[in-house]
Amino acid sequence: MKRKDIAGLVLAGAIAALSLTSLGGCSSKETLHIYSWADNFDEDVLKDFENKYNVDITYDNYANNEDLLAKIKAGGGGYDLIQPSDYMVATMIKNQLLEPLDMNNIPNFANIQESLKNPAYDPGNKYSIVYMSGVTGIAYNKKYVKDKIDSWEDLWNPAYKGKVLLLDDNREVIGMALKKQGHSNSSTNEGEIKSAVDDLKKLLPSVLAFDTDTIKQKMIQEEGWIGTVWSGDAAFIVKDNPDIEYVVPKEGSTIFSDNYAIPKGAKNKELAEKFINYMLDPQVSAKNYETVGYSDPNAKAMPYHSEAYRNNHMINLTEDEMKRTEWLGDVGSTLQVYDRYWTELKSGR
Amino acid sequence: MKKKSHPLLGIHSLLLMIFIYVPILLIVVYSFNNTRLSGDWKGFTFDWYISLFKDRHVMEALANSLTVAVISTIVATLLGTLAALSLRNLGKRFKGGMNGLMYLPVIIPDIIMGLSLLVLFNQMHIPLGKATVIIAHITFSMSYVYVVVTARLAGMGRQLEEAASDLGASRWQTFRHVTLPQISPGIISGALIAFTMSLDDFMVSFFVAGPSSTTLPIYIYGQVKRGISPEINALCTLLILVSVTLILLAQFFLNRGKGQKKHKMLPI
Repeated sequence: MKRKDIAGLVLAGAIAALSLTSLGGCSSKETLHIYSWADNFDEDVLKDFENKYNVDITYDNYANNEDLLAKIKAGGGGYDLIQPSDYMVATMIKNQLLEPLDMNNIPNFANIQESLKNPAYDPGNKYSIVYMSGVTGIAYNKKYVKDKIDSWEDLWNPAYKGKVLLLDDNREVIGMALKKQGHSNSSTNEGEIKSAVDDLKKLLPSVLAFDTDTIKQKMIQEEGWIGTVWSGDAAFIVKDNPDIEYVVPKEGSTIFSDNYAIPKGAKNKELAEKFINYMLDPQVSAKNYETVGYSDPNAKAMPYHSEAYRNNHMINLTEDEMKRTEWLGDVGSTLQVYDRYWTELKSGR
Repeated sequence: MKKKSHPLLGIHSLLLMIFIYVPILLIVVYSFNNTRLSGDWKGFTFDWYISLFKDRHVMEALANSLTVAVISTIVATLLGTLAALSLRNLGKRFKGGMNGLMYLPVIIPDIIMGLSLLVLFNQMHIPLGKATVIIAHITFSMSYVYVVVTARLAGMGRQLEEAASDLGASRWQTFRHVTLPQISPGIISGALIAFTMSLDDFMVSFFVAGPSSTTLPIYIYGQVKRGISPEINALCTLLILVSVTLILLAQFFLNRGKGQKKHKMLPI
């Protein structure tokens, strides 16, 4: 018994020593520390980069922009590349949390579609380059929805009572109602916001759920017939349920993006820029977005994409549709008004 | 003579069990469901478990979790046991206070523990990563070991040790051959609890994690945003299985050799 105890201790010590060496064994290779959403890249594309430049990539996840902000703000850096969404880029710039990009290291930036350059949240692309973008539109199941859908108004159709899905997001939903009434999705006019919210209150009896995380499942399983869905999610849904159609309403809609950005004080800034440049190579880009399934912002990548990808309307929105879109802008202190109305809406008052 | 309890009490406990265990059971059941869209039952499959073990990121997270758990458990067990041994001889007045202080990390909300450690690491300019996660885990695991070992020490009394010294054993011999064997079930069970706590911890790790220190719970949290996949259900099922096994083992060691005092529950 006692012998065994000692043997156990020795074994434990050996394991500890082993783990310690594996800790220290992080080699002398240059390492790119990515902090991003889960499963945000094609695995092979990352591996190719590691081999091509003889570097290592570490990949850690966050689940929402606010987590990312908290970590970076707390100085919990150590990361070289992060992927904040559009409004978060603006917030991080304001808080001086980002390094300006050196475009000399990213010549492939020229490949980005003109409509995705110079976005409102980062004029002149000083700090960020778009990685993924999408548009909030209406997805509907043509088995149940027989009318022609082309306006936000259609969500209010009493025929779909109890089958309407809305994103669980304050600015998205109120922004949608603002658009419906012909205003900016980032209005700071309290009267406009109130009128939009009153409109939404009339929609409430029809709403099945406010849902962002499992809205795809609800559409696939036909629990919901019609709803506000991101274009990339719609492309995902249609793979499992071919009856789903997607449209960007004529009143216009909200465009959103995740971006490449480099946090202040990153140790391997040049490597991060090298990585961004590599990702913007047309062939690499095509390979990556085939897997990821979202829109490819790379204008030169189209010839390398599969036919199925090129013909997918939910991934490749028309120029007309893109013209109807608007970024969510910073509303400053009016955000409190949005928050208050949002609480009212969700508590069904 | 058995005393009969009120029938309503039985119904109450049944409902309570359902309330606690049905959500967990659902995750386990869906991890075997042969469809990507968890909803209806489409037949039994092991596919999700197989694809789980092929996923590079899951394996990395698993390796991180195990590294952190193994190292933090060893250090926390050593420190916790030593603390229990040294505080044993304190006078009554100090002892109460010290016990309270050692127990505090168990009671303090995780979020405060995580935040305070994060602030500390920043102030000291320690870069976040595996090392900071390990230090944080040692901090809270130590308390569990301390509590269990202290209980064990209190239960064994001093007669045997006094007898050993009377018979001419040195202090080291007494410790090695009398004290240690008696408290070893406590040490082992403390270590098992520490290991479980480290493996399951999300909140504290989340605050102090840096590059390449994504543990399994952090990974699961990140994945949920993508929609809950059956692989995640499978991963959760495995985590539940490992945790329950470890805690049962800890319970077993704690009860072993206790003789008349049986069924002492763990202080968690």
